[in-house]
Amino acid sequence: MKRVLILFVILSLLLTGCWDKREINELAFVQGIGMDIDKDKMCNITVQVLKPANLATSSGGGGGGAAAGKPYEVYSSRGVDFAKAFSNFNTELSRTLFLQHNEIIFIGENLARSGIYSMLDFVTRNPEFRRTSYLVVVSGGTLDDLMKLSKSVEKYPYREILGMIQNQKNTSSAYVCDINHFVETLETEKVQPIVGRLEIVKKDGEPQHARFVGAAAFKYDKMVGLLSEQETKGIMWMDNLIKNTSLVIDKGPKGDKTHISFTIIKANSSITPKVNGEDVSFDVKINFDSNMIEQNSRYALTDLKMIKGLEDLQQEKVKGEVLDALNAVQKKYKVDSVGFGQKLQEKYPKVWEKLKDRWDETYPNVKVNVSVKATLKRSGLTSKPIEPR
Amino acid sequence: MDRTYLVENYKEMGLYDDIDKNIDVLKTLLDKSSDVIFREFRIGEKKVKGFLVCVDGLVDKALINNNIMEPITLESRKLDNNYLSKKNVYESLLNYFITTADIKEVEKFGDVVESILSGDTPVFVDGVDKSIVISTRGWEQRSVSESTTEAVVRGPKEAFVETLRVNTSMLRRRIKNPNFVIESLKIGKYTKTDVAVAYIKDVAKDEVVEEVKKRLSKIDMDGIIDSGYLEEMIEDNPFSPFPQIEHSERPDKIAAELLEGRVAIISDGSPEVLVVPTIFVQFFQSAEDYYERYYISTLFRVLRLAAMLMSLTLPSIYVAAVTYHQEMIPSPLAISIAAQREGVPFTTLMEAFLMEFFFEILREAGIRLPMQVGQAVSIVGALVIGQAAVQAGLVSAATVIVVALTGIASFSIPAFNIAITFRLLRFAMLLVGGTLGFFGIIMALMMILAHLASLESFGVPYLSPIAPSNTRELNDVFIRIPWWAKIFRPHKVAGRNVKRQNYTRG
Repeated sequence: MKRVLILFVILSLLLTGCWDKREINELAFVQGIGMDIDKDKMCNITVQVLKPANLATSSGGGGGGAAAGKPYEVYSSRGVDFAKAFSNFNTELSRTLFLQHNEIIFIGENLARSGIYSMLDFVTRNPEFRRTSYLVVVSGGTLDDLMKLSKSVEKYPYREILGMIQNQKNTSSAYVCDINHFVETLETEKVQPIVGRLEIVKKDGEPQHARFVGAAAFKYDKMVGLLSEQETKGIMWMDNLIKNTSLVIDKGPKGDKTHISFTIIKANSSITPKVNGEDVSFDVKINFDSNMIEQNSRYALTDLKMIKGLEDLQQEKVKGEVLDALNAVQKKYKVDSVGFGQKLQEKYPKVWEKLKDRWDETYPNVKVNVSVKATLKRSGLTSKPIEPR
Repeated sequence: MDRTYLVENYKEMGLYDDIDKNIDVLKTLLDKSSDVIFREFRIGEKKVKGFLVCVDGLVDKALINNNIMEPITLESRKLDNNYLSKKNVYESLLNYFITTADIKEVEKFGDVVESILSGDTPVFVDGVDKSIVISTRGWEQRSVSESTTEAVVRGPKEAFVETLRVNTSMLRRRIKNPNFVIESLKIGKYTKTDVAVAYIKDVAKDEVVEEVKKRLSKIDMDGIIDSGYLEEMIEDNPFSPFPQIEHSERPDKIAAELLEGRVAIISDGSPEVLVVPTIFVQFFQSAEDYYERYYISTLFRVLRLAAMLMSLTLPSIYVAAVTYHQEMIPSPLAISIAAQREGVPFTTLMEAFLMEFFFEILREAGIRLPMQVGQAVSIVGALVIGQAAVQAGLVSAATVIVVALTGIASFSIPAFNIAITFRLLRFAMLLVGGTLGFFGIIMALMMILAHLASLESFGVPYLSPIAPSNTRELNDVFIRIPWWAKIFRPHKVAGRNVKRQNYTRG
């Protein structure tokens, strides 16, 4: 009797197994999902769905002689909220949308400005969305424009943009933010999120390509303004996020007009709050090492004075970037994107307790001292410039 | 004489002193067989009656002719009549005439018949109720040749043959010590197969030796044709799919295991020698591991363990990932698999199952088929599991790759018997993976592991020295430490005499 029971249990386990099975070729792979709202406050979702058969490169593999064509298709859907819009896809798609290979969520500028809370809620509630997906604000065009970009090295626009985001590691020209990071900063009262920005470049009204550049500053879940590449870099300098980037100065140590390029090989920064009675100020210290990669004037780097001069110019340049950034976030948008409040709380919790209710008013007037230390490490393969005779 | 009466009673019947009666009994018992030779002769001047019986084909005829018949019939005539009196003919035969080393005296018909059928030759003399059994065994046998199932690049090439004595000689040649004991017994009501238990007395555990002998003596079968029979009769857990007794046809391997304190069971008629106690990791060790450089052996061992895991789980992981956990496949690969599956009529589980099934059929056919048609089968097989099947849209290319990899992985396990166990389990894994996903695979793996941990072979835990763990002995499991550092034998196996050598590198 006992054996029969055990057998029954085992068999029933096996029978219940297949209910959530789905064959891989019955899925609509979503690579790139965009969310926006339109004038009527209706939620829009745009998805880029892959057509695997058109993607297969190998000849003969699969069906054999796959019809050449776009390897993707773009679908849009509307609804009163994102969940409704998402479920509306079922009326026009033959396969179930499969989101787990999606790594980027595009946010339309309208949605970003009016607050992305509802979108975040939908995205974090649905287990199919990856919490590590990048959030990107799209400016300069609609999501549809973005999904149908024609100029692409990769086979479909999504890949191109994913490549740009990953490439950012080498350039530090834009801010990379994923859902986890965004939610985390949203939930800490002291910091305001920043999201990377994708700019659609148009020519004669036709979208040509996209640039992953700069960032969008958020106040809570609402976007308050766009940051330029310079400003974004400044924030990244302060946030200790610069790993590898290039730096161009536009004058030489002798005051001559020229261009000299450096590549940053190592950088670190620190923000130290200072409290003097009621007065709060912050010291931002940035250290970095750089290599020279190009110069137009004929500077010989064997001259120590010259090196010092170049280092000074780099410091000045970076300081300028940081001040630009501070100007934008502190004075213009009045959002604590770098997290000065957090630094204050970490070091002087008591001061923070007193200040935190008034932080929004205090912050724009807080004094920030920026000091930059640059070290020129190497000059590439050339130490003496080429001398034409 | 009444044959039925004889058949029932001959074993206990003593020999008669009347030679005619003896002849009569033996002829009644054996005369139906055409291969039995009865030879009557007269001994000496007094012409005392004598006769011998032997089985044609089992005996060395030259030996009988030169060392038995010639002295008895020719030499005896030259002797003084008084010396070779009727009375002492038997004694003289025993002491002077028969010029072979191995003889013994028997008094019962049972022993006589048994020795005849084993290839020995009994000689009877009129008036004596005893018989001289002369060892004349010499039958056609396969010569010692290279091992086909356990081939190595480096190391001795010779392999055991079907003759017990040849096999024991190969072991004895390697271990020249009086403590190396080869005990023998006969098993099988009809076959009376010679089975030898070999061990090194001061290395092997006494309890294990006793246990082996006890289990062997309990066997009461019709016959033992191959050591496989013995393996199943004496293993600890008869219901387990895992082999609990290792077998090998390499004398060097068996000798090495005897030195570790194991007990070998050699059965006549089988080139495979059994070794107990056996632990799981032994099946992943090749004889060559110990002859090649230890770094290389270590790499190959890890490789084999990986291959074992692959052969067990790869198809199930593939099926589970493709039907349940698509998010776990890297995006480009997932898309590529999806593209390949476009238009394939079967579900992934079905597809993998069918391909595995066909692969097993091919493998089985490859072993059984006559060599002349081998090429035809391999060509057809390549078409079935290969590009043709993919192009026909029957299966996806990824499945073909997975099945092929699994097949190759399972062939890289040195011991065939455990490789086929994993093949069997692979189908179960495939079903669980295809119905319950990774959850099912983990559950099944845990069940297999629990089962392995519960097994024992002659008092040694099957998974030792991993579980129960013994860090000191792990030096011969995943890695192979150099010989000069290998100071101890496996404790669980050897028992008291664990020291193998002193640290004395040349």
